[in-house]
Amino acid sequence: MSIRMRTRVTGWCFVIAAVVLICLFYFYPMIQAFNLSLKSGVGTNLQYVGFENYKRLFTDSNFITAVTNTFIYLIVQVPIMIILALLLSVMLNSDKLRLKGLFRTAIFLPCVTSLVAYSVIFKYLFANDGLVNLLLLRLSIIDRPIGWITDPFWAKVTIILAITWRWTGYNMIFYLSALQNIDRSIYEAATIDGASAFGKFTKITIPLLKPIILFTSIMSTIGTLQLFDEVMNITKGGPGNATMSISQYIYNLSFKYTPDFGYAATVSYAIVVLIVIFSYMQFKVAGDR
Amino acid sequence: MKKWLTVVLAVMLLLSACSSGGGNKQDSSSGGGNGGGDNSGSASGGKEAAEITIWAWDPNFNIKALNIAKERYNKINPDVKINIVENAQADIIQKLNTGLGSGTTTGLPNIVLIEDYRAQSFLKAFPDMFYELTDTFNAADFAEYKVGPTSVDGRNYGLPFDSGVTGLFVRTDYLAEAGYSPDDLQALTWNEFIEIGKNVKEATGKDMLSLDPNDLGIIRVMIQTAGKWYLDENGEKPFLAGNEALKEAFQLYKEMMEADIVKPNADWSQFVAAFNSGDVASVPTGNWINASIKAESSQAGKWAVVPIPRLAGQPGSVNASNLGGSSWYVLNVPGKEAAADFLAKTFGSDVEFYQELVTEIGAIGTYIPASTGEAYSAADPFYNGQKTIADFAKWTEDIPRVNFGAHTYVIEDILVVEMQNYLNGKPLDDALNDAQKQAEAQVR
Amino acid sequence: MYLFLGVTAFVSIFPFLWMVVSSTNPSVGVTKGRLMPGTHLFVNLSNLVEQIDLVRALANSLVIALITTGLALLIGSLAGYGFEIYRSRAKDAVFNILLLSMMIPFAALMVPLYRMFAWLSGKMPVIGIDTKAAVILPTMATAFLIFFFRQNTKMFEREMIEAGRIDGLGELGIFLRIYVPTMRTTYAAAAIITFMSSWNNYMWPLVVLQSDAKKTIPLLISNLGSSYSPDYGMIMTAIVIATLPTALVFFLMQKHFVAGMLGSVK
Repeated sequence: MSIRMRTRVTGWCFVIAAVVLICLFYFYPMIQAFNLSLKSGVGTNLQYVGFENYKRLFTDSNFITAVTNTFIYLIVQVPIMIILALLLSVMLNSDKLRLKGLFRTAIFLPCVTSLVAYSVIFKYLFANDGLVNLLLLRLSIIDRPIGWITDPFWAKVTIILAITWRWTGYNMIFYLSALQNIDRSIYEAATIDGASAFGKFTKITIPLLKPIILFTSIMSTIGTLQLFDEVMNITKGGPGNATMSISQYIYNLSFKYTPDFGYAATVSYAIVVLIVIFSYMQFKVAGDR
Repeated sequence: MKKWLTVVLAVMLLLSACSSGGGNKQDSSSGGGNGGGDNSGSASGGKEAAEITIWAWDPNFNIKALNIAKERYNKINPDVKINIVENAQADIIQKLNTGLGSGTTTGLPNIVLIEDYRAQSFLKAFPDMFYELTDTFNAADFAEYKVGPTSVDGRNYGLPFDSGVTGLFVRTDYLAEAGYSPDDLQALTWNEFIEIGKNVKEATGKDMLSLDPNDLGIIRVMIQTAGKWYLDENGEKPFLAGNEALKEAFQLYKEMMEADIVKPNADWSQFVAAFNSGDVASVPTGNWINASIKAESSQAGKWAVVPIPRLAGQPGSVNASNLGGSSWYVLNVPGKEAAADFLAKTFGSDVEFYQELVTEIGAIGTYIPASTGEAYSAADPFYNGQKTIADFAKWTEDIPRVNFGAHTYVIEDILVVEMQNYLNGKPLDDALNDAQKQAEAQVR
Repeated sequence: MYLFLGVTAFVSIFPFLWMVVSSTNPSVGVTKGRLMPGTHLFVNLSNLVEQIDLVRALANSLVIALITTGLALLIGSLAGYGFEIYRSRAKDAVFNILLLSMMIPFAALMVPLYRMFAWLSGKMPVIGIDTKAAVILPTMATAFLIFFFRQNTKMFEREMIEAGRIDGLGELGIFLRIYVPTMRTTYAAAAIITFMSSWNNYMWPLVVLQSDAKKTIPLLISNLGSSYSPDYGMIMTAIVIATLPTALVFFLMQKHFVAGMLGSVK
């Protein structure tokens, strides 16, 4: 065997277990789901309708609303969260910081607990006579209570706040771990050259962390396009359907209404297409490969 | 190279050993009993009278009722092992839909509790998966309004359970401050209810009721007093545009909002908090709220229950309605005969059993012969000695029968949006017409 | 900096503290939004122990989360390393296809997956419906972890591989003796995240686990809230208890995130 051949085979050995398992437990069901997306009907009474379900997407006002809402979350929320997580991880990586473990744990904690519990408390915080309004009124930032859950605009803001609050600490983990792999002598050299803290952040940290930033932004895109928990638990998609997400619509089609598994699968594939487009754009922007 | 293959193989072996090892332990510990069809191939012939599995939600209500039924049934038939599994309602729906949707019977229970609003949707989507109960109990013994949702083409698939009969729970002390006594509230219209609400607010500063803008339960209660629903009489076509009862209900909803007598809530806990903390003067809802109201024991003696208001503009409207309520269904999997027998001998015919349900857990059934029993006429000190169970049983008989059909929640999601539009100034007829169009596009 | 971190930490932790406070109050206190600690903790605890088998559910969750984390880290890091170090056009294509698997909402896969495990139940009941194995199998290999390890491998210095080869280590030896120790913060992060998602996993265990004896913590908590008259004090107590293991895992693992680890191994 030539050396090249050998390396190639070795490489496949490393990945084979994962490839087999993912094919079995993801791609096989995915193919069945695609097959399902070409059928329509209720429950198990399904007929082949070809691409009829896909055409239905474009005239389905619920679907269009859900896509619009989800895009708003995506465009506003993902950048804010990524930047916040980066800043926090750099701060929490500092040698001089005391009580590091406590700060880190506190900021990580939101993503640990099931949202079922937090949602009860979140709704108290953001109720019309809740603590948030009380605080803002007391500080004279607003002069009448904001309808955090009842107003179509502010309800979206509440959802964005909730996602950011819950997932920033999660993304911070990836940065924190990656920062350990940066050779600190690079920073020392920069310090000798008289670089400022901000300069080091933009010139060294960000470029070196680029693969991880790409990873988190793609994962966050996927997470946001599949957003479900927050919407389901905090606003139930309301008021009206002002905060409904695509995944919540899939849930409704499969379980809340008379189950239409075919159309639900179609909407799922619509999500796949959107994520592929966004991920491709991000890979391109990051200039990977 | 060979070294490599061995490593990969070893890893794979390890994996399968781990997973099957975990599985093995599990299986032996449970004695292989996980409902129905699992072992259909090998064992179903062998153990005929074996075991039935039941899924239901709410530990303080349905599960307790099942436990009482199990105890009583095992006295007459000790051979059947009854396995009661508690799952949240939303979880049951998800599990059942996934299991049924996959077209297999593995892992399905023998008996499942389904909310009446959803029953037709299951029966329609999975027609072969439910076991017909027509000859196992006498449907005429149950409140008439429960029979519609539980049957298809005159065949009974569900055995009716709890009554969702509504009442207007009122704070007598707040009403007294505004000059009303429970006797004044016996046959209210919703318009009168709003007037009282305004006076109560003026006298006490308290709101009249608390509503969740995402849940139109109160609209359903209102239109059912007039025998109307979101769908036509056959439960097939959406009936929103031109539905006079629905129109009146929408107008009343807006009036309530504009009269500023509604405290908004965002979920169940806030709804419960509204009356537990004494922020509202009334709770128009199903009798099942009883336990939550009584949870605040310091308010004992301050509550009464009066009939639900009716719609003034609808000729057939009565002071009785329904909200929620569910029934038992037997799945078409091995063990169905035993399951049907269990239901028939307990929920289907046992008058004594229903007395126990009332005294033990305050659950009001819809089995008419039971309502003459002693437990039904007990006075409740929390409500100043009012015979609340007897009242609810009486109102249950008056509930107009409607056909819930299979689309209650699809249509409600559309109406929630149009309700917001209407509250924000969209003309009512336009709102309902638009809702009708959307509903027709979705329901097919 | 302390001010910023302090405020962020406070905002992050405030709802959790409220939950802890709520777990000491009776249900009515929780629904009224009481912010003061009460004296109801032991009543809530004893109600909880009486109503559900908390210990068994914790044990179920723990077994599943630990096995999943161990296997997923092994499989994911092998693959992430393989895709980056032995890069080829074919492998890149396979990798891109693998990424597709995390783009479809899980809800769409549930019915086909359930059918598959129902079929397995007939053939091999030990990994069929209602077994821990059925919960673990679909989460053992995830594109997520492969992607994460691959991106981190980009930051791994390849000279170390050459050095290993010169020292006479085999390919797997390089992975085990050089890569794994060097990347231990990456493993720590992956362990935290995998443990957490397994611990909180809801949709699939809900569908595939049937009997009470096998339920995991999130399923039990979901039951507690299903009542017409839920006991919110008790629910909060249960959730606080359910949160502690993951918080503990995090607290222990984050100690590995010490600046300038690199260079200390070699």
